[in-house]
Amino acid sequence: MKRVAAAFAVCVASAACGSGKSILDAGNAPATTTTTQPPVTAAPGATLPPTSPTTTVPPATTTTTPLASLPPCQADALDGVSSPVEITFWHGFTADNENALTSLTDTYNAQQTKVHVTLQNQGGIKQTIEKYDQSSQDSRPEMVSLPEYVVQQMADSGSVIPVGACIEADHFDTSPFLPRVLLAYRTGGVQWSMPFNVSDPVLYYNKALFERAGLDANVPPVTLQQLQTMSQQLVSSGAAGYGIALDSGADSGGGWFLEQWFARLNVPYANNGNGRVAPATEVLFDSQTGVDLLTPLQSMINEGLAVNVGDNPDGKDTLLKMADPAKPAAMTIASSAGIGTVINLLKGGLIPGITSDQIGIGSMPGPGEVASAIVGGASLYVVAGKGDAKAAAAWDFIKYLAAAQQQSQWASETGYVPIRQDALELNPLKDKYVSDPRFKVPYDELLAGKDDVTSVGPVLGPMPQVRSVTAGAVAAIFGGADVQSSLTAAAQQADALIAQYNQLNGR
Amino acid sequence: MAGDPTTMYDAPSGWRAVGRYGLLVVVSVIVLFPIYTTVIAALKPGNKVLQNPLVPDAFTLDILREAWSDGHFGRYMLNSFVVTIVVTVAVILTSVLSGYAFAILEFPGRNLLFAAFLATLLVPVEATLVVNRRTVDSLGWLNSYQGLTVPFLATAFGTFLIRQVFLTLPRDLRDAAAIDGVGHLGFLRQVAVPLVRPTIAAMAALAFLATWNMYLWPNLITTDADYYTLQSGLRSLAQGNLDKPNLVMAGVIIAFLPIVVVLLVFQRHLVRGLLAGGVKG
Amino acid sequence: MLAPSLVILVVFVLYPLGQAIWLGQARCDAQGENCVSNGWDQYVDVARSEEFQHALWVTVKFALITVPVGVALGIGLAVLADKYLRGVGVFRTIFSSTVATGVAVASLMWLFLLQPDVGVLSNVGWISDLFPVLKSPGLLRDPGTALVSVAATSIWANLGFTFILITAGLQGIPRDVHEAAVVDGAGGIRRFWSVTLPLLGPTLIFVVIVLTARAFQAYGEIDLLTDGGPRPQNSTTTLTYLTYGTNSIINNNDGLQAAVAVLLFLVMLVVSLLQLAAVSRRVHYA
Repeated sequence: MKRVAAAFAVCVASAACGSGKSILDAGNAPATTTTTQPPVTAAPGATLPPTSPTTTVPPATTTTTPLASLPPCQADALDGVSSPVEITFWHGFTADNENALTSLTDTYNAQQTKVHVTLQNQGGIKQTIEKYDQSSQDSRPEMVSLPEYVVQQMADSGSVIPVGACIEADHFDTSPFLPRVLLAYRTGGVQWSMPFNVSDPVLYYNKALFERAGLDANVPPVTLQQLQTMSQQLVSSGAAGYGIALDSGADSGGGWFLEQWFARLNVPYANNGNGRVAPATEVLFDSQTGVDLLTPLQSMINEGLAVNVGDNPDGKDTLLKMADPAKPAAMTIASSAGIGTVINLLKGGLIPGITSDQIGIGSMPGPGEVASAIVGGASLYVVAGKGDAKAAAAWDFIKYLAAAQQQSQWASETGYVPIRQDALELNPLKDKYVSDPRFKVPYDELLAGKDDVTSVGPVLGPMPQVRSVTAGAVAAIFGGADVQSSLTAAAQQADALIAQYNQLNGR
Repeated sequence: MAGDPTTMYDAPSGWRAVGRYGLLVVVSVIVLFPIYTTVIAALKPGNKVLQNPLVPDAFTLDILREAWSDGHFGRYMLNSFVVTIVVTVAVILTSVLSGYAFAILEFPGRNLLFAAFLATLLVPVEATLVVNRRTVDSLGWLNSYQGLTVPFLATAFGTFLIRQVFLTLPRDLRDAAAIDGVGHLGFLRQVAVPLVRPTIAAMAALAFLATWNMYLWPNLITTDADYYTLQSGLRSLAQGNLDKPNLVMAGVIIAFLPIVVVLLVFQRHLVRGLLAGGVKG
Repeated sequence: MLAPSLVILVVFVLYPLGQAIWLGQARCDAQGENCVSNGWDQYVDVARSEEFQHALWVTVKFALITVPVGVALGIGLAVLADKYLRGVGVFRTIFSSTVATGVAVASLMWLFLLQPDVGVLSNVGWISDLFPVLKSPGLLRDPGTALVSVAATSIWANLGFTFILITAGLQGIPRDVHEAAVVDGAGGIRRFWSVTLPLLGPTLIFVVIVLTARAFQAYGEIDLLTDGGPRPQNSTTTLTYLTYGTNSIINNNDGLQAAVAVLLFLVMLVVSLLQLAAVSRRVHYA
């Protein structure tokens, strides 16, 4: 016994027991993937041949799942109801956004007697996903709000009624909707959920610091080149400690933003039509595009023009860096979902030295000339297995939340983008966009891009884990590691994750 | 706390005393520092939180009221108290019963069963969480007091402690009771338990602390905020209000105070409890 | 009589352990259902994998920091307050106070101290000038200091507990032993090393065992302070965080999570055996 224990201790100390392989490969037969080539470095003066196939991959045939094979949606099951149908709605909204949701829900509950909605806050988006996955179907709520990166998981889970079925059954008119917003939650030919809170990354910048540096405070940077130049001026003039605060968070700088930038350039992030035509089998972000994207950011950090605030788990650290009294960053990229909260916070005077008027909102800077963005945020799912009346009740509440008036109110209170164009013609949003055009920036960003599978962003089964992997790569890159090899290693791990996901989830 | 001042040798006087006091003060400042800054931050109005974090230059109690209502602390504290008291009482009951059984009763396989009991002490709670969640889910006990308490109603540690103490009971006590016709339960109630009251009180203090501070399990099985305990409530308050540090710190103070009060009241029992598992001799 | 304890322990400890052992060699889908066996070599592969070895090393490091420092501080504080001085009871109460802090309370207090932009320490001019790492990138975000900072939180939270125990242990040493040593001419420090410390033996052993168990099972501090980061080194991803953390790479993988949890059980078993072996050799009784 003692000998075993001693042997174990030696094992740990010498790490001689390690296999060097990833935990994800445990128990599996050795994979028959091709060995990776070491990254090819170009001789000085020569240019590298493209290292990955360009978009000449033969398009995959669409795998559409006919709606008939999925749980049906009886939209009229509410008609014969005598007492209010109780439904619960799990969400992850916090602070001001939660207040806005609560007031919408209270109004809904008060203005009709067929449905009563109970909100249950799970503490955050990630927690909502975890709780949903861990629960048995009986313990799941009737309605749940889940982000765009679990679309494939929800599609494979068999636990939801696709919203598309309800749209068809109810002859719901989606023509005023922004096509890009609906497409984000559509894969394999099925509309799985109804978008509700739409956000995309925007540039937050400190106008006062811009002016102090001699820059025009109304012209924020759009291209990466402009970002570099303006940061240079901000730092050399002493106006700001750093030009921009970057981060390597999975749902921001280390993952989501990468997807944004690829979409902006209309370059696929994964194969099979970005995973939307058929389930993806490999990622493509380790291409030259990825390298060209991250290298300038890496040099900006090296030159002190940008700072990496780290993992940014709550999305707030980059914004807080702008509030740093000693060495503030003049700009940062963060989700537009925070616009409302940031403005309220500054109005309350929490950060001495910055007033709410001093914050400008611009479109997200990135590669290429056109400032476009892909949809983020979350959407509403109708959970299956609860009976027709409850499903119809959930659908009714969804219709309410997606209606133009409610979208107008929701968008103006939170800073989320309305999912439909006619919401802009109604107050309070109409006045809001006029009185504070900052809130309109994320909306304009969404209109700017094309509406095809590549520009709408990727869909992957194990997306959260893939984002975790890219986040690690970006963190390493921001710390000085070689860009191409970090991306290639990340792509390998991502491919392994995808392969396992496809194997286990019924492909 | 921690009993009477020591009976160690000479009490210092003069300069040595001053030096000793000085050292004590310095160390106290260091130990109390996080609590101090939390209190300062909690009591400052929102727009002054970030300035002068070491100096209480502004003061308002409104935040405590806000934390209480926004943070639903009334409900969470109730939940924590209910869960903790139920578990504490139950642990005492089950430990006394099983400890007595192992110490006094004779039955086949007793030693084997006791070894099995002890084995459960080694299993870390992490290894059982996921499956326990499924069990609780299938019983319909998510978001319920049952779910929060039942898995912890018995612990081998309690059994072990009580058994140790019961083993020291003189044989003749039990024999005398048997002659008088008193059954096991009667003996337990009238004789054994009163004799080991200090150990029971100690166990109660330990169980109270452990249950009050449970973090992982309540987070796992509650999806309805009505059933959050104080620790989960704190977590959600912190996550949702990173932009209002004074609110979060106020919540921390509210969570911290009652347990300090409880502990001050029960300090003697707590010490004995912590000792009971350790020092022999 | 045994029934209540037995039922609870079987249903909620032994059964889950058995189930977890089976689950550890299986793979499940994203919802944790449709689990299929993947072979018992999954355990071996997990134990040898990079992520597990790293997490194991982080956990061992964490224990190696928190336990000795915690014990030393506990002894230091106990000895410091162990004089017959007027009002020393106040100081003892202060030293014991952290026993009232739970994981969430202690972690949030320290988060507020260490946050690089709006935290206390980084906003006090002279302190942040002395230690620039406080602001850039922040103690919790620098891979070199993150684990130590989390360990500091844990040590502080356990200080009250350690202090109470060791003080009680000190009080358990009979006065005549000390007086005999004084008579023999032993000075203060000598007395401490030759008399006090050995007699504290049983208490210290208990403290070490409890602190080690707590170190191996630490989760709340990491969840609230660093989320297993900072990436890419994952400097604070311990075994428990690897199993349950939000940022863990096996977050959605029930089979692998169970495997890591069972391996954690085995690791703790080995550690307990090592400690038992060390204890059985050197125990002093008064």
